[in-house]
Amino acid sequence: MNNRFFSVAALLIGTLMLMAFMVPQEKKKGGPWEIPQEYVTMENTYKDDASLEKYGKQLYMKHCRSCHGNTGEGDGPKARNLEYDPGNLADAAWQDGVSDGELYYMSIIGRDEMPNYESKIVDEEERWAVINYLRTLKK
Amino acid sequence: MKRYLLSIALIVSSFTLAIGQNEEAKPKDKPVWAPFESGYLIDNQTTVIQSPKTLEYIIQHKFGTMDNGFSDLFGLYAPGANIRMGLNYSILKNLQIGYGITRLNMYNDFSVKYTIFEQTRRNTIPVAVAVYANMGVDGRNKEVYGLDYKGSDRFSYFTQLIVGRRVNDWLSLQVNASFTHYNKTDSLIDHDKISVGFNGRARFSPQSSILFQYDIPLKIQGIAEHREFTNPSKPNLGVGWEIRTSTHAFHIYVSTADGIVPQHNAMFNQNDWTKGDLMFGFSITRLWSF
Repeated sequence: MNNRFFSVAALLIGTLMLMAFMVPQEKKKGGPWEIPQEYVTMENTYKDDASLEKYGKQLYMKHCRSCHGNTGEGDGPKARNLEYDPGNLADAAWQDGVSDGELYYMSIIGRDEMPNYESKIVDEEERWAVINYLRTLKK
Repeated sequence: MKRYLLSIALIVSSFTLAIGQNEEAKPKDKPVWAPFESGYLIDNQTTVIQSPKTLEYIIQHKFGTMDNGFSDLFGLYAPGANIRMGLNYSILKNLQIGYGITRLNMYNDFSVKYTIFEQTRRNTIPVAVAVYANMGVDGRNKEVYGLDYKGSDRFSYFTQLIVGRRVNDWLSLQVNASFTHYNKTDSLIDHDKISVGFNGRARFSPQSSILFQYDIPLKIQGIAEHREFTNPSKPNLGVGWEIRTSTHAFHIYVSTADGIVPQHNAMFNQNDWTKGDLMFGFSITRLWSF
């Protein structure tokens, strides 16, 4: 009787342990962004402005690094506490698929866990400095 | 007559057009990027004011002096730590008001800071200039003031002119001049004090900087009430490390003065850094934008 009980318990525990390996451990992926047309076609008036490079990096390190990581790969110290995957900003295919205006909307307007930065990064030039720096993360 | 008026109109319009083209050729000179990361620099103020409609909460903490070494872990567990909690709000682009309450003397301070000029990138304006003023209200029991107590005895005033320059990407420097007035002091101590200061920030990574300050209360006979200065206040040296994130600024530092409200340090600081009177302290700010 005892042997049978322990066998069933061991089988159950073993099954649960094996199932644990099958449960997905990855964060949820956010759905596609709904970006207003005015942002999709928005022109980056500071494109190729080399004078913004250093400041863009400083702003990224101040506002974005904690979640998106030093290189934009979504491995910042706060990323582990997020419900959704912050994504890989360095991914070349992803970068090629978004316009500067779309990147502006995602970075400055935000949604859900991605905060709105309109009141923190007030100046338009500063906002584009961040976008320009994000482009340099592409690998 | 018509021809005359038409000629004037043409001249005026072409002149206006010329000015317009000239303005286009010379774009507006913008303020420099972040001369300082925070409105605070150890015990001092910077010329920086946060964006309009930003609320800033600050906790400032000073431990005891390090004199006792390991016995109180270099002052970290010494009695008599000083704490200030405060709120600042940016009403306009260059105007901030604030309130704070400090453990030492239970000072309630009401402050205002106004940035008159911001340094611009092409040196149209080569320095930033700000004025900081506060009124302190000593919140201790009235018995502290003796028999001839009046409510106005509690008031102290501090006014400071700050001139700063972002020298390059990593170095920003400031000088300041201050006037302090206490309505009531001990009989041998003056009511007024003028002091000067020098401080700055040296950035060594996108988020971290070294901070330094040196404030010198002056002994000026012209505004003194006595022939000799009794217990004149001592200079306040400070060196610290600043870390800045999107919504926080952290300062960890070593400094001389035990006060947090600036008029107290200017008037009463008796700690002497040349004799090892130094203490650890830290500040944490949190920003909310509306």
